[in-house]
Amino acid sequence: MDREEVFRVVIRNICEVLPELEGYAFRNDDKLKDLGANSVDRAEIVAMSLESLDLEIPLVELSKVSNIGELAEVLYEKLQSN
Amino acid sequence: MKNYNQTKLVITGIGITSAIGQGKTAFTQALMQGQSSFGIMKRQGRQKNTSFIGAEISELYIPESISKRVLRTATFTEQAAMAALYEAWEEAKLGEVDAERVGLIVGGSNFQQREIMQIYGSYADKASFIRPTYGLSFMDSDVCGLCTEQFGIKGLAYTVGGASASGQLAIIQAVQAVWSGQVDVCIAIGALMDLSYLECHALRALGAMGSDRYADEPSSACRPFDKNHNGFIYGEACGVVVIERADYAKMREVKPYAAISGYGMAMDANRNPNPSYDGEVRAVKKALEQACLTAADIDYINPHGTGSAIGDETELKALKDCGLSHAYINATKSVTGHGLSAAGAVEVIATMLQMKESRLHPTKNLEEPIDSSFNWVKGEAVAHTIKNAISLSMGFGGINTAICLQSY
Repeated sequence: MDREEVFRVVIRNICEVLPELEGYAFRNDDKLKDLGANSVDRAEIVAMSLESLDLEIPLVELSKVSNIGELAEVLYEKLQSN
Repeated sequence: MKNYNQTKLVITGIGITSAIGQGKTAFTQALMQGQSSFGIMKRQGRQKNTSFIGAEISELYIPESISKRVLRTATFTEQAAMAALYEAWEEAKLGEVDAERVGLIVGGSNFQQREIMQIYGSYADKASFIRPTYGLSFMDSDVCGLCTEQFGIKGLAYTVGGASASGQLAIIQAVQAVWSGQVDVCIAIGALMDLSYLECHALRALGAMGSDRYADEPSSACRPFDKNHNGFIYGEACGVVVIERADYAKMREVKPYAAISGYGMAMDANRNPNPSYDGEVRAVKKALEQACLTAADIDYINPHGTGSAIGDETELKALKDCGLSHAYINATKSVTGHGLSAAGAVEVIATMLQMKESRLHPTKNLEEPIDSSFNWVKGEAVAHTIKNAISLSMGFGGINTAICLQSY
C-alpha cells in the first residue's frame, strides 16, 4: 500500500464520521478540527483508520500529528516498519 | 398517601415507536384493529441457532433534524428514543419552553444488550481497535446525553431502572420532578429494550418468556389472560410522554391528553421474577388513594398482563380483591408484545389514546379468559369513553407500580 492509498483510507474514515464532507476536496494540510471534528470524532477517525490498516500502534505515537497529511504519513511509515 | 400536592399534572405530548407502527396515528390504528406483527425475530444478534418469537420494528423513520453524523454512533435504542421524543416534543411545543426548565427521565437499565453483544463479537480479538464512541454508548445514560444534546434540554436528565416497571417509574419520577418544582416540564421515556439472543435464552430459561409452542403460528403465541398462555412475547417499542402542570399547559396553549391523578409503588421484598398478590394490591390501593378515587370510580384497567401463567393469575386476583372486576379490561401486550423497559410508558400511552378515541382496543388471542368474571374487551374493539383508568406495571425484583389517569 503506497502513501496515497493510506491517505485515501484516512479520508474514507473522515467521511464516515463526518458525512457532510462527502465530495470535499481534501488537502494534506487540512486539520481534523478545522474540518469540524470534535475530540471524540478525532479519536474515532484515528481508531477506524488503524483498524482499516490493521495497524496496532500506541496512540501516543500520533500525538504530534498536526494535519491529515501528517497522519497519513505516520501511518504509512508505521506500515512499512510493521 | 393522599394527593396533598394539589397541583394537577397533565400529559401534553406523546411519542411512540413500536413494531405495530411508528407515531400515534399508525399505533392507534393497529391497536384498534388488533393488528399485531409477531414472527420469528430476525434482527442481527437476536438469534443464534434459535427461533424466538417476537415483534420487531420493520423500519425506523428518523426525523430529518437528526443528522447522519449523529445517527452513525447512535444505538438502536437511542434512535428509537430520538424518533419518539421528536414526535412528543413537537406536539407539546417544547421548543417554546425555557431549556433550563425541561427535564428528561429515561426508564430502563442495561437496555442495549444486543448492540453490546455485537461489539464483543467484532472486537473480542482486536480490542485495541475498539471504537472510542463505545466508551460513551455502553452506558445507558448516553441516551440522556444524546437526547439532551439533540433537543437542547438543560434542566435535568437521568435514567431509572425498574425492570418491566421502568417505563412507569420514569413517569413517576417525571411527576415528582415537576411537583417538586425542579422543572416545569418533564419528559419520560420508556426506553427500547434491545435484547440479544442471550437475554432471550435466559428469559425463557427463567420461565418468563413464552416457549416455542406456537413456533408454527407466531401470531397466536402472545395470549395474556388466555387459558393457553405460557409466557410473555417480546415486542420492540419506545414510548415518550411529556408531563407538566395543568396551569402551565393552559398558559402555553397545549392541549392535554389526560391528567395523572395518582400513582402507587410497592415492593415485594423479593429479588425473583415471581409476582406478589400483596405487592400488587398495595400498589393499586396507593394509586387510588393518591388520586382520591375508589375502585368503583375506575372504568378501565390497562393491566400488566404479559401472558405469564402465574403473573396473569396473580394480577387478576389482585384486581378482583381491589374491587376492580367491574371495569373494562384489555391487554395491550397482546397486540404490541412486551417492551420490557418500554412497557409501562407504552401502556400509559395506549390508555390515553383509547381515552381520546373513546374506544377500547381488542385483546388478541383471548379465546378463553382464565377468569370470565372480568369485563373483557375480547376480539373486537368496544366503544367506551374512559373517565378514570388505572395502568399497572410489574418488574422482576418485586417491583409493582400503578398509575391513575383521568380524562381531561
